[in-house]
Amino acid sequence: MSAVDRPDSKSAQPFDAAMSTQTDEVVTITPSSQTTSPDETFSNSTYIRRRRWQNFGWALLYMAPALIIFAAFTFWPFFQSIYLSFFVTDQAGQTVRFNDVQYYSRILNLDGSGRTEYLQSIWVTIEFSLMVVPLGIVVSVALAVLATAKVKIIGVFRTIFTSSVAISVASASVIWALIYNPSVKATQWLVDALHLKSQGLLLDASTALPSVAFMTIWTSLGFNFIITLSGIQAIPQDLYESSKIDGANGWNSFRFITLPLLTPTLLFLFIISTISCFQAFTQFNVLIANEGPDGSTNVMVYQLFTAFFKDTRYGFASAIAVVLFLVVLVLTLIQYRLLDRKVHYQ
Amino acid sequence: MSAGITSNEAHSSTYRAAEMARTIGLYILLIVASLVVLFPILFSLSLAVQGDTLAPQLVPDFSKLDWSVFSQAFNQEPNLGRWIINSFVVSLAVTLGQLITSSLAAYALATLDFPGKSIFFVIFLATLMIPWEATVIPNYLTIARDLHWKDSYQGLIVPFLGSGFGIFLLRQYFMTIPKDLYEAAVIDGCGRTRYLWSILIPLSRPALGTLAVYAFLNTYNQYYWPLLITDSPEWRTTQVGITAFRQTESAVFNLQMAGTLIVMVPTLLLLIIGQRQLVRGLTSGALKG
Repeated sequence: MSAVDRPDSKSAQPFDAAMSTQTDEVVTITPSSQTTSPDETFSNSTYIRRRRWQNFGWALLYMAPALIIFAAFTFWPFFQSIYLSFFVTDQAGQTVRFNDVQYYSRILNLDGSGRTEYLQSIWVTIEFSLMVVPLGIVVSVALAVLATAKVKIIGVFRTIFTSSVAISVASASVIWALIYNPSVKATQWLVDALHLKSQGLLLDASTALPSVAFMTIWTSLGFNFIITLSGIQAIPQDLYESSKIDGANGWNSFRFITLPLLTPTLLFLFIISTISCFQAFTQFNVLIANEGPDGSTNVMVYQLFTAFFKDTRYGFASAIAVVLFLVVLVLTLIQYRLLDRKVHYQ
Repeated sequence: MSAGITSNEAHSSTYRAAEMARTIGLYILLIVASLVVLFPILFSLSLAVQGDTLAPQLVPDFSKLDWSVFSQAFNQEPNLGRWIINSFVVSLAVTLGQLITSSLAAYALATLDFPGKSIFFVIFLATLMIPWEATVIPNYLTIARDLHWKDSYQGLIVPFLGSGFGIFLLRQYFMTIPKDLYEAAVIDGCGRTRYLWSILIPLSRPALGTLAVYAFLNTYNQYYWPLLITDSPEWRTTQVGITAFRQTESAVFNLQMAGTLIVMVPTLLLLIIGQRQLVRGLTSGALKG
């Protein structure tokens, strides 16, 4: 009987390791051949097939609520965005006339208009992620390792390290706007040290984007820390104990146990943080509220917001949205590729 | 040089001293890291209690702290309380909705074997790859223009009732629960839905707790969507409200910071209460013993 039930324990799909945040991929993933053995009897396999179709109905039912929400508010509008991007629209968002790919060629500066601001916006967004993601993950790993220290009141420190997850980007932006505010003098030393011509960090083309990136690392720290810490806690303690017996020091056990077993978690974080950088909007709207000095903080989502909400150019804004999607897609695929080989399977 | 006993004693006391130094070093590191992480909050608190000044100090004058600024903020902005209520209603509804839709979908993906499972898996994965901004224009047109849901709770809640993140988080957790348990339950005549509600869900409290806290915080802290979908001041959520408040009180630093801190209190409290949910061990040995 148990052999009949076994098909339920279907082995892992390729995406499993990539998307997982917890323990199971640490366990050896076996090649997928064992589930349906070739010498299974005919009646058994018919039974299994019937059971799988029976399951299908139930699975569909269980997935229905999520599928309906995603169909209505993710997939349909997504295709609608693509559709709108080929049209000129009116104030109410109705299509007026077919516009071919003209919006796309404008964004990529292929229409000979010489307007490079849209290409620059893509570059600004990439720069922003490069400033935020790697440093953000390094900081969260450092904090998470620190938070595994076996000292009293470690719980208090963990709460503190987690705290920024509870603070919204909007509230944080209101605070950081004052930190960067020239009349508060908190960052005056940096303005002086860098010999800036501008009054404050947010007003200078060379420092505005790094300043926003810095506060973004802070706002995302709490979430990154939670994920990293739970990843570390999922690593079996006896691995550390036996490596200690073998004479490994702290660095070695970090390098050869924590880091390899943490890679699936970090891959997950990498993807999530990069995507959230490409979605960053609030801090730009509150701290800068325009395209920034020399357009230096005009990230794609801000530009999208300008075209969509301020100018009500729904067609053009949709084209920016589609480009934004494509950049995110490409980056996600690159990250899968790059990090795939380093992910710990065995 | 000296006898074996003294050298042993010296050895163990050096060891103890080294251990002590290590612990003190750890505490220093932890405290320094905490101060760095907490800096923006300490900064805002410091500015809030300094009174109305255009040249605030980083460290306030402790002899004349002005705590009345917090009640002053409610007088200055009568809608502040309403914004907090709005944010709570929306966040609770979204959290509950995401818990239900995600655990159901994750259950199907993690436990059941059915044809086309990998296709559904990719569909859910795709939701993580479609940025919210790539859907925001049609969503805005649907909600604001077609459904007339501007300035309403449903407009703020309904689009967020599904969560790709939640599905993967829960699926991941459900997969750590041994298959033997499912097989044993099925042999004992336990139905699929009953297995989910009476076995899987109770065993998955840590993961559900993580999702609940995460969903609540995320929704409470939303900015972009409420900014688009609310027009009148009384329908604003805390985040849109506080940035509007900042503009009306742009030169009054202490009120700005007090308002911001008030808005932050509910989520900071939730974090302290829900902390255990977040850091609790992610596996519970159900089949052991």
